[in-house]
Parts: sequence; C-alpha cells; structure tokens
Amino acid sequence: MIERDLTVSNRLGLHARATAKLVQTLSQYRSACTLMAKGREVNAKSIMGVMLLAAGQGTAVKLRVEGEDEQAACDAVQALFERRFDEDS
Amino acid sequence: MRQAMTGQGASRGAVLGRARVRLPHALQVAEQHIAPDVADAELARLHRAIGAVRDELHALRARLHGALAQEVGEFLDLHTLMLDDPELLHGLDELVRDRHYSADYALRLQRDRLAAVFEAMDDPYFRSRVEDIDQVIGRVHAALHRRDCELQGFAGEILVAESVAPAEMAQLQAQGVIGLVTTSGSPLGHTAILARSLHMPLVVDCSGAMDHINDGDALIVDGGTGLVVVEPDADDLRAHREREEGHVREKRALARLRREPTCTRDGVDIRLFANAESQEDVAEAHSLGAAGIGLYRTEFLFLQRNALPDEDEQFRAYRDVVMGMSGRPVTIRTLDVGADKTDRTGLTLRDEQNPALGLRGVRLSLARRGLFETQLRALLRASAYGRIRLLVPMVTSAEEVRLVRAELDRVAAQLRAEGAVLGEEVPLGVMIEVPAAALALPAFINDVDFLSVGTNDLVQYLLAVDRNHEGLGRLYTPLHPAVIRVLRDTIRLAQRHGRPIAVCGEMAAAPDYAPLLLALGLTDFSLHPGTMLEVRQRIRDCDYAHLQSRLPALLRARDRDAIERWLASAA
Repeated sequence: MIERDLTVSNRLGLHARATAKLVQTLSQYRSACTLMAKGREVNAKSIMGVMLLAAGQGTAVKLRVEGEDEQAACDAVQALFERRFDEDS
Repeated sequence: MRQAMTGQGASRGAVLGRARVRLPHALQVAEQHIAPDVADAELARLHRAIGAVRDELHALRARLHGALAQEVGEFLDLHTLMLDDPELLHGLDELVRDRHYSADYALRLQRDRLAAVFEAMDDPYFRSRVEDIDQVIGRVHAALHRRDCELQGFAGEILVAESVAPAEMAQLQAQGVIGLVTTSGSPLGHTAILARSLHMPLVVDCSGAMDHINDGDALIVDGGTGLVVVEPDADDLRAHREREEGHVREKRALARLRREPTCTRDGVDIRLFANAESQEDVAEAHSLGAAGIGLYRTEFLFLQRNALPDEDEQFRAYRDVVMGMSGRPVTIRTLDVGADKTDRTGLTLRDEQNPALGLRGVRLSLARRGLFETQLRALLRASAYGRIRLLVPMVTSAEEVRLVRAELDRVAAQLRAEGAVLGEEVPLGVMIEVPAAALALPAFINDVDFLSVGTNDLVQYLLAVDRNHEGLGRLYTPLHPAVIRVLRDTIRLAQRHGRPIAVCGEMAAAPDYAPLLLALGLTDFSLHPGTMLEVRQRIRDCDYAHLQSRLPALLRARDRDAIERWLASAA
C-alpha cells in the first residue's frame, strides 16, 4: 500500500474535466485507489465520488493506492496533479 | 394572453418564435418493490438500458465533426464516464438486488442521493453538476422504457424543456431550433457553456416555463436579460423588432461579407490570413473565408504548464489545425518565448536583464536543439495532412536562417529514414521583426520561401520604445517615417524576388491602417479573426491604383501628424 499527499493546484480544482482525466488515468490500473480530503474518503476511480469531494484549488488530498501495480498508478496520478491536469490556463 | 416571466440569461441573443414544449421525462417514480426472485432479471434489464445509452452516446459522438466534436465531445465523454461509474452502478445494484426496488425507483433513489450531495455544495460550479446527473439518469430511464430520448426540434421554434443536455444542443441547432428555455440548469452549466459557443440564445432556471407555456405559443426569449414573454403584445413586438432590425442589418452585412472575396474597388485581390492560437480560432477563420492561417502561435502548448509537450501532443495539435483548414495553407510559427513570458517548464533563462533582447525566439530554439527537433518532427509529420508552412521568429542574420534550414533538412531526412509519411516540401519563412533582419534581407532572401512582418516587435525595436511601458504610450506607433520606410523597402524587396510577404502584427488588424498598407504594396494580411470582416470591408472600399499613386506623398510625410493627415485624406 502506498500513500501520498498531493495538493490540487490547478485553477479550477477537481471539477468535471479534471476528474474525468483522473478517472481515465486510473482506469488503466488494477489497484484500488482512494482519495481522502476534508474528512471524506472516496473511490478515486469514481467520477461521482471524486466530484463529491468538491476539492477546489489549494485543497490537500491524500491518495492511497493498493494493488499489484500500485507504484505505477500512484506515479501516474502524481504526475497528473503536477501537470495541473493539463489545463491551459 | 400576455405573460412575462424571468429566468437567468445564460447565452445572449433575443429571438421570437413558436414554442415547442417538451414534456419532462419525469423521474417522479413512486416507490416500487419487486419480488425477490425477479431481482436478477430486473438488474439485467437495467444493465441493458445502461448499455443502450452507452451505445447511443458513442453513436452521437461519431456523428459530430469539426470544432463541435471537440466541444461537445468532452461532455459526451463525461456522461459516458458517469454511466460506467462504480459509485453509480454499485448503488443501483445494491438497491435492486438487496433491497428489491424496481429499476426505475432505484434510478430515482440513486439520482436523489447524488443530487442531494451536489446541491449541498458551496461552489456553484459543483452545484450545477446535478444537471449532468439528471441528463445521464434521464437517458437511462428513457432507455428502460425504450422511449426515444432524442429531441425533435423544428426550424424556427424555441424549445421549452426541463433541461437540455449538451449533446442534444448540437442536434437542436442542426435542426434549426433558434432558442431554448429551461426550468432547471444554471448559467455555469455545461449546456450554457455550449450554448454560448454555439450562439444559441438560452434562458435557464425559468421555473414557470413549463406551467405557463403551451405548444405553439408565440414567445420572445432574451438570453441576455433572462426575460421570456409569452403571447407578446404590440409593444413587445415593436421593441423586439427594433432591436432585431439593428442586429439583423449588422449581421446581414457581416454575413454577406463572410462569403465575399477580399478585393479592392478596382479589382485587386487581397488575401486575408488569420492569426490563431486555438482550434476555436481556426474554426472561426475557416468560416470567415480566410485564405489560410498566416500565423499559428505554438506558445500556448508550452506555457503555463509544468512539463513540455511531447512530440505526439504537438503533432496532434498541428494536425488538427491543418485538417481544420481543409486544404488552405497553415503557417505554424516555431516556439516564440523568452524570459518575458512566464513558464514553469525551465524552458527559458530566469532573470535576464533585458528579456526583449535576450534568449528568445529562434535563439532559444537553436540553443535548445532537443526542443527544436521535437517541434520540427511534429510539424513535419503534420505536413502529411495538409499544407504547412514553417515560420521562424526573431531572426537577425543569414547564419540563423542557414542553421534552421540545415536542421529542418536533417529532421526531414531522419523522419523519412524512419518511414514516416511527410507532405510535400514545407516552405520555410522568417519573421521580419528585428531591424537588422530588414536591413540585411538581401543577404538571405534567396534562402527563405516567404516573409512575415511582425510589426509589434519591429516598431518596438526600430523606435526603441518598450510597447508595454505605460508612460511611453504615444511614442509607440507604427505611424513613424522610419517604420513606413522599412515596411516599404521590405515589401518591395520581397516582391522583386517573388517571395510572398504578409504583415501579421496588430497593424494588419486595424481597419484604419489598411489603406496605408495597400499604398505600400501589401497584398497579404494576417490578423485575428475578430476584425477580419471589418478589415475586409475597408479594403473593399479602397482603390488600389489610387493609393499606389499617393505613395510618394506618404513617403514625404515627416512625422506622425503628417501620416495621420495622409490617412485621413486617403480614406
């Protein structure tokens, strides 16, 4: 199991498009992933779940990944956060 | 009987038309239980419906093309993802299998659960996501009953509905629907975002609409103010007509211009190319009848992100631009950044004393060969899909031209060796924005295929005036004898050598300067789509031969005032 602390740094936060990117990224991995923020814990592979976090810019989230390809999944999510979900603005 | 009601204006524009009321696809399902032994069959029925909607969304996506596909595609993808969402599916499974609710009631419960959470959020954007949930679940519900969820709209009608999905919007527009009124929704919703980009007037959150409007009622809908008038009276109609007439006159004149050629009164053809930095600009340029893209800025692919775009990402972006212009030439400018632009990729040097004179444009490309090679590879690969021209910014010397040419040839050979398909020869052009390049042009004009004059920087360097310096406002102007002279010499030299030359700075986008540029012999302009029609109109009012005859007077002008007087008399 890997845990990692991340910060939502893109301007729009985990809104629909960013969430869609996250879910699409994770769908390539078999590991179970959860996101924790604001005292809530959701399935990171669920678009509804992630949007329900309503994590705006600056929110600290904890990612927990568990499974055979956890390292790769974790790195992929971290890279996505660091690229600010490829938002152009 | 006249009634007026207000919702929230979500997409501007006022329309008058007959109402087409779409009865709500209500999810007001009463609590329904099923016998435990049919739970599995009920669940299978529900999953079949979900599968049908998934196919529906895919089919819809396949039917869209062009800029719309990109715009609507994102929402379709989102809705497809929602359908496959483990939270949604798991919740439905549990409600049917363990609690023995009917599929319909399970959908409603799951919708209410999710909606409750979204509606409780502070952020209005997240609150408005309820729209998406309703649309997805509504589609599944319709599929359960094999009801067609597709909207039927008719030309000239205004659709009144509980909500409209972004995906439906594109179809409605194609069917000729002229406006929309919804009882739910928000100006921040995806439907509103799309309505604005499609210029479809939309009023949302108009709660009384379904109760007070009947099929066939006359309606006036103002998507700006949010006002909806049912069965308007004489005063309403008069007010609407006056507003319309002004609009229509304007629109008609401009729409006519979209299809008109850009040619002067005495029949000289002028080519208007577009400056673009996004797929939206490209679509707009195409619909305005631009001769091609005269300047595609690639900076946006690189800026405001933490990692550089790789070859494939760049290739896809350039390919989309080329395909979006369907055969018209597209001029792609290589990376034009320097320390004056913010970037977090470590691309540029920090803290240059004088960024305007620093490592920027072609200097950066030649200093960072890996970066340059990636961009050239992407460009060359995209050339298989249409006519691409390569434009290099900030060139100062013949040596830079030679180095770029060598790099371009090397990368092309490398790609061919890998078996890549390339288009025909990619013409190489340079920006004339450094005075030295204008003065030394005879030294390398035979080594380039075309020229583009970047007047924004050229004026800055010629006059030694920082164009972002607030205190120097009036000193920064293209109306200076030195600028006029450099433009005249550069255009003349290019024409003598048979090299196409365009002006791509703000100067080309200002309708008032068009007569001056024509007098200097310019026949290719490159400008933002936003003012293209105005510039086209101005050029159509000009007499090319007459302006040419006034050139000596322009060259004699001694200062800005004299040049402005010349412009006033030439116009």
